Amino acid sequence: MSYVPDRSQYPAKKADGTLDIDLTSGKYLKLWQGPNHPGITGNMSVELTVCGDEVVEGKTHVGYLHRGFEKLMERRTFIQCFPIVCRICVPEPDFNEYCYAAAVEELAGIQSPVRADWIRTLILEMGRINSYMMYLGGQAGAFGLGVIAQWTTYVRDLMLDRFEELTGARIYHMFIMPGGVRDGLPEGFDQRMEETLCEMERTLKDVYEVMFCNAVFKKRSVGVGVIDPAWLEAYGVTGPNARAAGVAKDVRKDQPYLVYSELDFAPVTGQDSDIYTRADVRRRDVLVSIDLIRQILAKMPRSGPLMAKVPNVLHWKIPRGETYIRGECSRGEYGYYLVTDGSGYPRRVNVRGPSYTHAMALLERMIVNVNISDVAGLMVSLHTYPPEIER
Amino acid sequence: MNLSDLYNRLKALFPLGELTEQRPDLAFVTLPAEFLRPTLLHLRDREGFTHLVLLTAVDWLEEGRFQLTYLLSNRTQACDIGLRVMIDRPASGLATMDSIHDIWPTAATYQRELREMFGIDFPGSPRIDEEFILEGWNDIPPYRRDFDTLKYAEASYNQRPGRETRDPATHMKQQLYPDTEPGGKP
Amino acid sequence: MGVRDLLSPFTAWKNLFRDPVSIRDPLNRAAAPRYRGFHQNDNAKCIGCGTCETICQNGAIDMLPVASIATKQGDSGLRPRIDYGRCCWCALCVDVCMTGSLTMSNAYTWVESDPDAFRFTPGIDKKHWDDEELGYHRPAGHQLTGRVRMHMPEMEAEERIGSFAEIVNGYSVDQAKLEADRCVSCGLCIATCPTHMAIPDYIKAVRDGDYARGVALLYETNPFSGICGRVCTHKCETTCAARHEGDPIAIRWLKRHIMDQVTPGQIRTAIGKPSAPTGKKVAIVGAGPAGLTAAFDLAKQGHAVTVFEALAQPGGMTRWGIPEYRLPYDIIDQDVDIIRSVGVDIRCNVRIGKDITLDELRSTHDVVLLGLGLQLGRATRIPGSDHADVRKAVDLLRQATAGEDFGTPRTAVVIGGGNVAMDIARTLARLQKAVYGEVRVTLTALEERARFLADPEEIKEAGEEGVVILDARGPQQVMVENGKVTGLKTWRVKAIFDEQGRFAPSYDESDEQIHAGSMVVEAIGQMTDASLLGDELTELLTWNRGRIQVDAGGRTSESWLWAVGDMVHGPDVVTAVADGHRVAASIHANLIVTEQRK
Repeated sequence: MSYVPDRSQYPAKKADGTLDIDLTSGKYLKLWQGPNHPGITGNMSVELTVCGDEVVEGKTHVGYLHRGFEKLMERRTFIQCFPIVCRICVPEPDFNEYCYAAAVEELAGIQSPVRADWIRTLILEMGRINSYMMYLGGQAGAFGLGVIAQWTTYVRDLMLDRFEELTGARIYHMFIMPGGVRDGLPEGFDQRMEETLCEMERTLKDVYEVMFCNAVFKKRSVGVGVIDPAWLEAYGVTGPNARAAGVAKDVRKDQPYLVYSELDFAPVTGQDSDIYTRADVRRRDVLVSIDLIRQILAKMPRSGPLMAKVPNVLHWKIPRGETYIRGECSRGEYGYYLVTDGSGYPRRVNVRGPSYTHAMALLERMIVNVNISDVAGLMVSLHTYPPEIER
Repeated sequence: MNLSDLYNRLKALFPLGELTEQRPDLAFVTLPAEFLRPTLLHLRDREGFTHLVLLTAVDWLEEGRFQLTYLLSNRTQACDIGLRVMIDRPASGLATMDSIHDIWPTAATYQRELREMFGIDFPGSPRIDEEFILEGWNDIPPYRRDFDTLKYAEASYNQRPGRETRDPATHMKQQLYPDTEPGGKP
Repeated sequence: MGVRDLLSPFTAWKNLFRDPVSIRDPLNRAAAPRYRGFHQNDNAKCIGCGTCETICQNGAIDMLPVASIATKQGDSGLRPRIDYGRCCWCALCVDVCMTGSLTMSNAYTWVESDPDAFRFTPGIDKKHWDDEELGYHRPAGHQLTGRVRMHMPEMEAEERIGSFAEIVNGYSVDQAKLEADRCVSCGLCIATCPTHMAIPDYIKAVRDGDYARGVALLYETNPFSGICGRVCTHKCETTCAARHEGDPIAIRWLKRHIMDQVTPGQIRTAIGKPSAPTGKKVAIVGAGPAGLTAAFDLAKQGHAVTVFEALAQPGGMTRWGIPEYRLPYDIIDQDVDIIRSVGVDIRCNVRIGKDITLDELRSTHDVVLLGLGLQLGRATRIPGSDHADVRKAVDLLRQATAGEDFGTPRTAVVIGGGNVAMDIARTLARLQKAVYGEVRVTLTALEERARFLADPEEIKEAGEEGVVILDARGPQQVMVENGKVTGLKTWRVKAIFDEQGRFAPSYDESDEQIHAGSMVVEAIGQMTDASLLGDELTELLTWNRGRIQVDAGGRTSESWLWAVGDMVHGPDVVTAVADGHRVAASIHANLIVTEQRK
């Protein structure tokens, strides 16, 4: 017996390619998915118009996390902006600190010391691993596989311990400041980091066996949520979302920053561009990051200045200019566009988070013809963090 | 790609302002609003700048203008170009600019934010009239420089009482030489 | 999808045989050594400068007075109170703390039933983490404000003693901007300055390159900024917040920089025009800083001021005492010209008591103000000191300024360890170099070198210029042979003060030295020459330990007579300026009152 779908209820296509949805016809149901929903992506919602159990239209809604950072920064001097930028992306805050510091340094004509750049790279990779761990837990949780989140949260916590001893805080590190970094590595850090990395590798192996070699997970994720490679440029898709579609986009390789040109790695790609491939690309990316951390610890200089000479931060004025600094965070291209006007305050700071393009226009495009039960998994597979959409 | 060469090629086709080379791989150039579309299409289709990085605005209140920055990236050549368009900033009401959502669908999101936060309208852009981040907002677009967040916070929220502070120099004067005016005069 | 995908998930069951990873006792988990926890403040080190309040980006810190801490020089008496409802524990306050008193422990649990308790003053409000040693302390070398002073370029010693040219070059605009950048505008220096100059504001004017505003600020409190910019005793720099973990701001050099950048025209614009004439007449005896500052204030208020100066040029000790290599004469002329420009009439070569009597002044003026200074050098009165070649430093310096040749001695011995002693020693060194080609000056003082009253830079530069400095030696006798001075005999000083603290030096007579010299110069202090008062007036006035007694406004016991400056307060230029302001205000108030009474 084979199943023949009944498309008689399905809306027809209009001339411009969109679906002809008559909300008064009684054929459709509006579902509000979010802002708290299974799977951990953060606080945003999707307003779904559903026909049967198939989504015909999705409208994203954000705004639950708007704290007005870009406006707040206009009233704060350059050094005063530094403690608040990390809060723009909650699960992976270090990219904010790095991009902001690099933008300020570039416009002020300051070069951060080599040792500081190595420590910055180390922190960024540590943050990347943490972010991927959170993602893996969320992706499995979106399909009801709750145990993965328990394991990844555990190893994330171990990495937070490393952050705590290196930077002085667990989540909001406030360690990468314009000019360099605050301090060097503490005693015994290398050894404890190696223990953490080993524990991480062990956990990832468990995750692979329980999540990736899992018939249920595969059934629900293979072939689902496909991103057409033709959409990548039109929708500004970057990071693992693009790499899973076969395009090796990685800022660390395309436009190396910090010390990435001295590290040995290759961008991880996949071909099938479905949920499973994206999850797998990210899993393999974690292994690359673990290897990068080992390389960094082996190669980094252990002496030298940590901060460049900066003017008195209380009245630091930067001449008029604008710049854009980008980096490759766990979700894609993260960038800061900074405009200065000669005063002691930034004129405009615009944060370009990867989720801005993934979770809005791309999601609305992808959500059409998706089964209701797959919506959560699809949203999580784009690895969106709503805080960076609305800052 | 050498950005100066690119600039020369573009200048032959479109009326561009001066090129500001911020880095060897990043440059900014100003151009008139009516030439934005053809320049964007040319850069996307002929020069390989297929990635729209961001579209944002800068409020030059004292000059009476908004600067719209369209940042494009050519990944294979590893370079970026920022196109600046200066549009009028009316004293009241919305500023307007052509929408580019048909060139890059993702631009629709940026344009929604600019309408809400800066009061710059992009007629025809999908969902442009809908609330984007703010809900029930009844003041001027908040990213504009004339919106004073401190005044808004003081008017809208209660402060917990009990904060006060002293200036060290004034306090020392009161404690150590209260009877002296500037210049040593009593 | 094969069998593997059906069975593999069951490998999760192996966790049944693993230890749980939950932390058994989460409430007592110690944070990492560097964790940014709750604040501690060493209130003995804290100076209440408020830089933590300035940098806090959340406005979490208030500076408030504390009952147990008194305001004093260099310490505002305020202490930071932190509102933990706003603090984000970024530790910028710890990074920028000027004394290193503010630190963070690694404590992170605090339970309170009263929400207002979360606004607390670290170190004053006792907390359970006050004695924790771990936590966030500013990492070594992590500086957010500049700690090292911009070096002031000056001549090398060999070049210096070749002439009386000014030895300090002054900052360039770029150098001054970098030095001014180090200031955190705390304002602790203002209370220390005798005339309470608006120091953070004029340093900001240097940062902004706004010299017109800078000079307007200077002239509000100090019409001798050109002079003070070179020779002030800069007490302000001893309370500068930057001195605790680095070098104090070079406040004096920045003041000089402003004066170097402005034209007399700009200064005149800044000070404005005097008020309408009041018809009152004020006579001031002595054109030194005190007298001229009072003259400046009173003339700006519209009074007719005449200054009578006994010597050929105005300036007082700044010209006749301080050598040209420290303070060029044209700088003095510039400052004095500005004072003339508001209508002050300065008459030189007029000695009151000889050319005009004090009684005449009294009858032709509403008020007489004495700014006589300390023109007489004190004498050691040791045997042999009555010889003609035993001179006073102030007299020699006056002659050197006048360009008179007092017979440069081939070898000289200077008695004294203060700035005047250094001045005469270095002047003699230059004269000797010019006349004889080599320097032979020995300087002896009662104090140990570390306790010399002179500025450390003066002592160092004197040594570089070839002056031999011998400390802790007391003069006993001037050696005279064949009618000529040949040297000075000294004994080693054991103690300068006795058990009661009185000045009573005791010596080790077995440690005796004779220092060769054809001239001995006494630079051991100065007194006022008050002979112009005459015996009768001297009897009438009240005195205190040799100095005229005055009230808070500088008025003597005679209602028409005021006194100001060094003769009342002891030698210091900026104190004299402050005194000049105070006395001028008192005179002005008195003139207004007498006018209203009519």
